[in-house]
Amino acid sequence: MKKILEVMGMVCPFPLVEAKEAIKGLNSGDELEVQFDCTQGTESIPRWAAEEGHEVTEYEQVGDAAWTITIKKK
Amino acid sequence: MVQMVITGLICGALLGFVMQRGRFCLTGGFRDMYLTKDNRMFYALLIAIAIQSVGVYTLISLKVFEFSAGSLPIVAVIVGSFIFGIGIIFAGGCATGTWYRAGEGLLGSWIALAGYMLVAAMMKSGVLLPMDTAIKETKIESNSIAETIGVNNWLIITIFVVVVTFIIYRELKKPRVKIPGLKSKKTGLAHILFEKRWHPFITATLIGVIATLAWPLSVATGRIGGLGVTTPSANILQFLVTGQISFINWGVFLVLGIFLGSLFAAKMSGEFRFRIPDTKTAINSLCGGLMMGFGAGLAGGCSIGNGLVMTAMMTWQGWISLGFMILGTWTASYFVFVRPSKKAKQATEIIPA
Repeated sequence: MKKILEVMGMVCPFPLVEAKEAIKGLNSGDELEVQFDCTQGTESIPRWAAEEGHEVTEYEQVGDAAWTITIKKK
Repeated sequence: MVQMVITGLICGALLGFVMQRGRFCLTGGFRDMYLTKDNRMFYALLIAIAIQSVGVYTLISLKVFEFSAGSLPIVAVIVGSFIFGIGIIFAGGCATGTWYRAGEGLLGSWIALAGYMLVAAMMKSGVLLPMDTAIKETKIESNSIAETIGVNNWLIITIFVVVVTFIIYRELKKPRVKIPGLKSKKTGLAHILFEKRWHPFITATLIGVIATLAWPLSVATGRIGGLGVTTPSANILQFLVTGQISFINWGVFLVLGIFLGSLFAAKMSGEFRFRIPDTKTAINSLCGGLMMGFGAGLAGGCSIGNGLVMTAMMTWQGWISLGFMILGTWTASYFVFVRPSKKAKQATEIIPA
């Protein structure tokens, strides 16, 4: 299962807060795609995923100040 | 005047560039000490303070300029810093952070900046001036830590540098998790400048150097001081509404430089876009900006003026301010992040399965 979380327009740290909340409802192996545009999130979201042990399956800049990251729940 | 414009803009642009690329966010750093028990950004700040302290006191020892710590308006510093700390959580960035985020195209930061400049100007020469003056009347004669204890400044600086070195050594020895990054699309210098993730300690080192450089550049134009954001931000508004050229100084060009440097860095890295906040974020930004202006005005500095510069000068004002600023961010973080998530948790537990 893949869940999409759109947090465009939210400023740091809300994209991360929302991502933490959203991943709670997923089962192990499910994916969460976060679409965000907060520059600081490019650092904080992958860092959080790595520290929690989740796998980042995709991470891309999709346009000017717009990113998408897919995290597979451990 | 020409020199003031050029050196101010260059110093500011360097700072804005480094902060944007290094994601140097003190608000996030202070907040994460409490929320995720992550002290990295605070340690980074200590590095910047240490470098500046050694740099500036070397210049003072070489008689390049003189520095007097003055007196300590203790009540104003404590109350102002605490309110400033609350404000930066709502605004989503400290004063400098707001300037550089405005350069990234975040319209929420433009709103915060407007509120901040307005109240800071009201405190400096407007309707809040009598209150500001009254609170600042409660003061302690000595503001210099070395003077109070009765030792040489260099002794304090040496102890501080040793402590910071130990912290950094311990921090760098910790095992590191590999953080997934974006695929590189650039190479060489362009990759380093406009794409690569900078280690916060590298960013902090550069900020320490820029903060040191700011002193002689500013002093050369007649402004005895280093980096500063609050007074210059207020000065812009004061100049615009009074037309008095006396409000223009090196600091004004410094803050404008921060904006331009960040704008350039963001443009070159594909990170600039006008971003419109939702209603809640916009209101938070405005309230945060107003509190920031009030707090920084009262405390006589923001997270840069007090938290980075006055700390490096080894003054009570700097360190007391830094402490209460951090307490302010923790207090606001509790109400903005911790309590809502606890409430949400309780609510889901009450619903029978």
